[in-house]
Amino acid sequence: MKNYLKKHLPYIYNSRYNPGNIEHLEKYIELQVTENVYDCEANLAVLKLYQFNPSHYQTNVTIKILLKAIANLPHPDFSLCKYLIEPDKLREEPLSSVVALGNQLETCDFEEFWQNLASTKSSIPAIGSVMGFTDSVRKFICHVVGISYQKIKTDQLCRILDIKRDQLAVYLEEYGWKLVPDDPSHVFVFNYEETIKTRNISEKIGFPQVKQLAPVLQNAASDCHKRAK
Amino acid sequence: MTSWDEKVGGEPADYGNAVLSANGSYTILPEPVKTFLCNFEAAIRNRNVYDIIQCYEAQFPKLTERFFAKYNWPATQVVTEIVSRSLGGKEPDQLFVILYTEMYYKHIYAHIAGGPSFEDREASYFNYCDFFNFVLGTDTPVTHELPYQLLWDIIDEFIYQFQNFTQYRAKLKNKKDEEISTLRDSVTTWNIHSVLNVLHSLVEKSCINEQLRELASGGDISAVAGEFGERQLYKMLGFFSLIGLCRLHCILGDFFQALKVLENIDVSRLDLYCNVPTCNITTSYYVGFSFMMMRRYEDAIRTLNDALAYHNRVKSSLAGRPDVADYVAKQTDQMCHLLCLCLSLHPMRVDEIVHAQIKEKYNEKNLKLSRMDLDEIANTFQYACPKFLSPVPPNFDLPENYQMNPMRQIKEEFISEIKQQARIPDIRSYLKLYTTLSIEKLAGLMNTEPQVLHRELMCYKHKMQNIVTADAAAAAAAEAPTASSSELDFYIDGDMIHVADTKVARKFGELFIRNILKLEDVNRALTRLDQFIYGVAAGEAGPQAGSARS
Repeated sequence: MKNYLKKHLPYIYNSRYNPGNIEHLEKYIELQVTENVYDCEANLAVLKLYQFNPSHYQTNVTIKILLKAIANLPHPDFSLCKYLIEPDKLREEPLSSVVALGNQLETCDFEEFWQNLASTKSSIPAIGSVMGFTDSVRKFICHVVGISYQKIKTDQLCRILDIKRDQLAVYLEEYGWKLVPDDPSHVFVFNYEETIKTRNISEKIGFPQVKQLAPVLQNAASDCHKRAK
Repeated sequence: MTSWDEKVGGEPADYGNAVLSANGSYTILPEPVKTFLCNFEAAIRNRNVYDIIQCYEAQFPKLTERFFAKYNWPATQVVTEIVSRSLGGKEPDQLFVILYTEMYYKHIYAHIAGGPSFEDREASYFNYCDFFNFVLGTDTPVTHELPYQLLWDIIDEFIYQFQNFTQYRAKLKNKKDEEISTLRDSVTTWNIHSVLNVLHSLVEKSCINEQLRELASGGDISAVAGEFGERQLYKMLGFFSLIGLCRLHCILGDFFQALKVLENIDVSRLDLYCNVPTCNITTSYYVGFSFMMMRRYEDAIRTLNDALAYHNRVKSSLAGRPDVADYVAKQTDQMCHLLCLCLSLHPMRVDEIVHAQIKEKYNEKNLKLSRMDLDEIANTFQYACPKFLSPVPPNFDLPENYQMNPMRQIKEEFISEIKQQARIPDIRSYLKLYTTLSIEKLAGLMNTEPQVLHRELMCYKHKMQNIVTADAAAAAAAEAPTASSSELDFYIDGDMIHVADTKVARKFGELFIRNILKLEDVNRALTRLDQFIYGVAAGEAGPQAGSARS
């Protein structure tokens, strides 16, 4: 196979489609997991190689790819990965649990997610091995809160982030949020009152547009004068 | 080898006496066909692009319709002999032979009942290999010149035949055992790696990506084009190969890569690169579809909208090409369906004319889509989506029909994404009615708990955030800018939802100005007409009037 590729399909031999590269890429994914870095394109390339060479498919690697994609929400990487994986595999354990976690985040069902994570972690050790997974998830949750709320209940915030009240200060610092001065049961997120307002876009007719009419108006004006005389 | 009577010619009526051979081809070749073949060969040999266009776009379809509507064109060996004889025994141009063979098989796919046999498919594949070897297999570039439409058609047909073969190979249920074993053994025919290799080789050889990058930054293209890339033939083959790769990745389900290969092309201004309408429309279709699958609804809507507006503009020029008219009409219809789907998920303003078209044809469908009728959504998706493929051969030991599986897989995923967005249109319609609304009240209206509603509102916000950057590479980065351009926006303040709607007042200015100018034109035309009529009459009376005055 290797020699056939090298001789007849040089581009394939030298590129991302060469199944000989699968091992290297799998090592790269392991690196991403332990060093908390992310390379979407490389991960999709591995899924594509699995698609082209089903005999090389590895469940463990696929789980890690999906977890890294989930950690990169709000980007649609998770959906993109699912399109490249066979539905039978997605429906069975262990992938189905990982997919369920991803779906819970996509529908913003955060409290369910934390409960589910705790119980899934024991059955899928890979989840625990992904460095910075929970941090990335919390980052995503804060992003969603940031775009949706001007003011949110502190209890609610702690629940969806799965943190204790005393850990909240770190997140407030990170995102520039503040506890409402007279009302510590609410956190002030962002002043949307200024930015999200009803707009009435009315028409403005500018001079350049009217300029086109200048000769017409001139003729009309002189006609009027003639008739007036 | 059949011997040809060169003195016989004439109209179809004469062919009542002609003998049809077993495969349905004429044994006596009509004169116009012979003339066409010799002209076509001469045009290619002399690098006369204008004549090639005439032969390929005008004469070939006409002759097909007249003589070969149901039959094969003559086989390549026969044609080679005829042309060779007319050249006094010389060999015809090699590229002519390859191109004629390509058109021969394309005709079988398009017009012959029953379609191509396995042998036809294999022979056509080898002919494409010959073509690409001819173009790529030399140390110096070939000096032939071919029209852009022809180059695009070759790449387009190449991928189409690959798609067709893969589907054919996956339909195992009604095949005979010997057919199945032939398929099992033919590993190299229409092998996906070969197809990818060809496209990527063309891209590399022509240095098209480097050229496009220089073009975008306003630099000197000729500095990066390389020996092959500076020739139009290679440059355009490289460009069309990029589009071909986009299509290929899309039908394999890799939408990220489909968009990535086009990263150096400004998809909203395709007419800057080449003036091949079928290429522009096809590109917009695959790009729009990929955007939609990546949840970049705003970009999808804009691309599809521009494509439909473009199609309106070029419709008349395509009327003269009946061979592509059907294909373009179908793809445009698919784009309309996709646009309806995207607009129901992410309502947005579109071009007036396009909006009117959709409203006229698909009003009922739009109503169902906006109500999240899952059946309607599934049907629309199935109609509008490309024919997805699996890159691996099917399980030959279990003769089932596998060709629909890839499509079902992608459709299932898409529907599950839609289900996650199921509550959004309801929320949107309630929010439209209010400027402020308490969580409790909305929860009551929607029959849920306030806590659940908080979640659904966050989900709304999350799903409607689009990545707003034209650069595919930047879009993949973790910090890609996102924004929501929904006309309806809201934020939650504790327990209160504040809604902001964008109301656009009707525009009158442009309409008035346009009509004023039009009226002025009419007035001027009338005055001229007036002068013309009475001026002539005055001229007739002229001599008397003139003499009267003098």
